[in-house]
Amino acid sequence: MIDSCELTNLSISEAAGALRRGETTSVALTQATLARMELTEPTLQAYATAPAELAMAAADRADRHLAAGRDSGPLQGIPIAVKDNCYSKGIVTEVGSKVLAGFVPSFDATVLRKLYAAGAVLIGKTRCHEFSCGGSEPPTRGPWDLSRFPGGSSIGSGVALAARSAFGAIGTDTGGSVRIPASINNLVGMKATYGRVSAYGVLPLAWSLDHVGPMTRTVLDNALMLGAIAGHDPNDANSARVDVPDYSAGIDGGVRGARIGIERDYFLYPGVTDEVREAIEAVIAALASLGAEIVSVSLPELTNTRETQMTIRMVESASYHRRQIQEKGHLYTPGTRTTLEMGQVILATQYLDALRARERFRAAMQALFKREKLEALISPTISVPAPLLSDVWKPRADMDNGETPTDGFVHQVYPANLSGQPALSAPGGFTQAGLPIGYQLMGRPFDEATLYRIAYTYEQAQDWHERQPPLVYD
Amino acid sequence: MSKVKQPVDPEISPEKLARLAEMLGLEIPPETLAGLSQQLGAIEALEQAKFQAHPPILKMDADWHD
Repeated sequence: MIDSCELTNLSISEAAGALRRGETTSVALTQATLARMELTEPTLQAYATAPAELAMAAADRADRHLAAGRDSGPLQGIPIAVKDNCYSKGIVTEVGSKVLAGFVPSFDATVLRKLYAAGAVLIGKTRCHEFSCGGSEPPTRGPWDLSRFPGGSSIGSGVALAARSAFGAIGTDTGGSVRIPASINNLVGMKATYGRVSAYGVLPLAWSLDHVGPMTRTVLDNALMLGAIAGHDPNDANSARVDVPDYSAGIDGGVRGARIGIERDYFLYPGVTDEVREAIEAVIAALASLGAEIVSVSLPELTNTRETQMTIRMVESASYHRRQIQEKGHLYTPGTRTTLEMGQVILATQYLDALRARERFRAAMQALFKREKLEALISPTISVPAPLLSDVWKPRADMDNGETPTDGFVHQVYPANLSGQPALSAPGGFTQAGLPIGYQLMGRPFDEATLYRIAYTYEQAQDWHERQPPLVYD
Repeated sequence: MSKVKQPVDPEISPEKLARLAEMLGLEIPPETLAGLSQQLGAIEALEQAKFQAHPPILKMDADWHD
């Protein structure tokens, strides 16, 4: 049998193999994860709720099913964390807000229902920024450096995975909230194509920009998780009727001949720090040496994608929250309330202009992929390494235009929320100070498999993903 | 680039947004409205660059290659 400490270091695919070889049990995996939580949670506070008894019961059930030959696939018996904006029947779901204090949903979000169907063990609900927007500061701290921003809004999902208190996690991404914490915590995060994963039962931030996605420590694990949670859902009007492939099949097919674009004017703009720039150029060089064809491209329509995304997000979130703010406005954190109210002063014509600007951008992105026969676009996931918590919203000392670290986050991630195309973040290096640097791949709609194949090939050629955060909480 | 300042259309001036916020009973700080004005100005600039041909529909297309 594998000892408890080693268990929590296993990837999902390794743990799944160990379960089937009889080298461990789901109960042992779950106990080890709960023990890890006991060690890490006092400092890191990744979890909002961790129903240990339910988790142990689910683990026992998974073991009994496996013993009886009922194999539900690679997530069976694996402890998985879910962001606290996903409804969970019978389990408190507060989405980081006093407005929902004590709220217990009467049904499961589709993503959770699919995880249960795959035999996964819900190990806990992870903390997020209030209503998944940036007006509040959760108590969660990052294991790579307690003084630095650990990502958001899927903050607890990223921290739990990095701290080995979950094997996989669910996040949501309206403006980078899967990819940003993935990058900061040395993880793989996938924002799949809009509509690929059902958002039913996930508390909305902005309907037309919201995506649900898996976060993991390896590319293969991510592919396995997406395979379990993707698919059409009649309960979600935006859900796509597109077949879900086996994302792990062909993942080792290499990148020879794959055309990968780099738009340096936008994605490597002056706001990208030298260390991030060098890391991304090194990832590009490595992919080229593995056989990929790197293509320099131009996409001027990337200009103002930030403003377009923000306008759409503000109006849609204002629409969702307006009535609730009238009734319970005093329970919102003031910063969150302002963020959610701002959309009310945006005119309908301006919102429609933003939607048209999005369509103009999406069409230009599609034309670029066709014209250049691209399989992916590559960029940094975020322009700067994790900033100090006190600096997240402050103008950067190394920029003279007032740009903040947050500006450097959204610059890279907003375009794929606007276009709806899939985008993945994966480990791409480290700063000299030991902070993770992520790279981003954006792909063609419903072609997540290609992004996994490219990222897997790169992952096999280096060991960034194997690095663990300093055990500052031991 | 994101931080390039756009000319502000009088239709979306911070003062006009402030009046609108007041009418709606919202307490939004002036500096926040100034940022919003800038944001909307950026989209207005795109409108001037003509995106009339693009209706506000997000449609995913599985075939991005011919």
